[in-house]
Amino acid sequence: MPCRLWPPINKEDYRGVWVYLEREGERLKDVGLELLGKARDLAQKLGGVEVAGVLVAGGEELAREAIYHGADKVVIIDNPDLKIYTPAEYAEAIARVVQKYRPEIFLIGATKRGRELAAYIANTLATGITADCTALEIDPKTRDLLQIRPTFGGTQLATIRTPQRRPQMASVRPGVFPKPPRDPSRTGEIIVEKVEVAKRRTRLVSIEKRLEKDVADLPPVESSDVVVAGGRGLGTAEGFKLLIELAKLLNGTVGASLMAVRAGWAPHTRQIGQTGKTIRPKLYIAVGISGAIQHLMGITEAKMIIAINPDPHAPIMENADYAVVGDYKQIIPLLIEELKRLKNQS
Amino acid sequence: MKIVVLTKAAVPLSSAIKIDPKTGTLVREGVPLTTNVWDRDAVEFALKLKDRYGGEVIALSMAPPSGIPALESLIGMGVDRAILASDRAFAGADTWATAHVLAKTIEKYVPDYDLVVAGEETIDSTTAHIGAQTASWLGVPYVYYVYDAEVKGRTLVVRRFLEDEGIDEVYEVDMPAVISVLKGSQIPREVKLSRKLNAREYIQIVSNKELGLDPECIGLRGSPTLVAGMAPATYPPRKKVVIQGVPSEVVKKLVEILKSEGVL
Repeated sequence: MPCRLWPPINKEDYRGVWVYLEREGERLKDVGLELLGKARDLAQKLGGVEVAGVLVAGGEELAREAIYHGADKVVIIDNPDLKIYTPAEYAEAIARVVQKYRPEIFLIGATKRGRELAAYIANTLATGITADCTALEIDPKTRDLLQIRPTFGGTQLATIRTPQRRPQMASVRPGVFPKPPRDPSRTGEIIVEKVEVAKRRTRLVSIEKRLEKDVADLPPVESSDVVVAGGRGLGTAEGFKLLIELAKLLNGTVGASLMAVRAGWAPHTRQIGQTGKTIRPKLYIAVGISGAIQHLMGITEAKMIIAINPDPHAPIMENADYAVVGDYKQIIPLLIEELKRLKNQS
Repeated sequence: MKIVVLTKAAVPLSSAIKIDPKTGTLVREGVPLTTNVWDRDAVEFALKLKDRYGGEVIALSMAPPSGIPALESLIGMGVDRAILASDRAFAGADTWATAHVLAKTIEKYVPDYDLVVAGEETIDSTTAHIGAQTASWLGVPYVYYVYDAEVKGRTLVVRRFLEDEGIDEVYEVDMPAVISVLKGSQIPREVKLSRKLNAREYIQIVSNKELGLDPECIGLRGSPTLVAGMAPATYPPRKKVVIQGVPSEVVKKLVEILKSEGVL
């Protein structure tokens, strides 16, 4: 006998792969479109079931945009009260619609807001959810969604199933799956659902764009192809200026180790490692970073690692593609000069 | 203000991680556990509210008995008392089944709570599910990523930061409510040794005998998700080419590498 708090369900009643389409003002966030691409792939493996999106208080042109990116159907939750985002109210409204249409799989982008919504929706539907999946597969025998996520500090890859409950839910961070191409010839169905929500218990008072005091006006570490990061070995905050210059020349951004953040040379938002960000750049340049295991965990998925360190035995050097033994104060300025020269030539 | 802080006695280091080969779940029994680093932000946040508005701060944790020292440290930080929900029947729980136990423990032992405070996520599992799931079990509103709060009657005015959008938002939330505290936003106060020494007497341990939850709805059996497999994560092997010499030569090689790898 399964848990009595799980309302009995008939798994065959649940069909289709659905995606939450998060809005940022009057546009769709990319992560929802990326998930539509993945949803199409899963839907095909499930025998060509429907792909749908759920949009809260958005216009039809946004629904059409989702259709151009792979949705067969978009349900717009129509409630003027929900124009303004608040977590509990959004989660309840989304759960209500998902409950009505019974998809087999429901995916959510693990943005900050998505993470805030996902588990509440799952709980409301008395189903399971797996956070931050990096791969999603279908078990052809059971139709179960295999929810694959790195866990325990990135040392393990877990495969999670939700064998007894539907929908099967997973969250996925932005950038994990490619955004499908936009095809404006695609057509689909747009359904407007009026959803009433219980009395509001959360009210938005104000929004302010934060002017982060940052080391540089550069993109975040998790979305850059090239990351140049500094550690305690830089010795001073001045060292970061060189890294910023180098990062700009490589069209990348700057990151930092925990030690550099603790020293106040870079904000926490740029920290890479177990207690900071996990990154997947094409190139990672570690300058004056010794490479504590917690740091290495954050960069294991970098395609190429160049480490610059005077100590040839530092752990980062053993974990680099190119271990440059030397003093960054001599090497980086010369490298910057050379890159500038190359730029001027072209 | 009666504030419950959800804290996890977590495995602090990846080197200490052990996995149950049968269930694929994290083994916490017999492993040294410490309070999840981001939950210390949550505790500090709650203590600050108590400093300002008075009341009581109660730490709540679901863990094996090896989770007791973590709670002792929180008592040392200034938490008034702690509740440890501990029972073999809770083992192997996913976040649904964990939040179930936490919410039912709150309803039974702190029914007059005003606020539940959670850390943003845990360092060993990093799901960020528990706050929202506990709110759902309790049927109360919630807001994540909070770094500041003010009490106005039965309303909590919270400031929160959404890092990916780079914006601060202010919300009014009706209490009782659940909030999660933005990681890294607080500087946790120190543990007072004198208080920690007598900490054990402020810790109440409750098992499922007292909670009376259906064994089918807790622990591994009560978890909608199931770990079907666990494999060590593998990553591309590194080339491990060592480059040394005079700086100008090193830079020449670096530029060659950047060109051949398509970065330039």
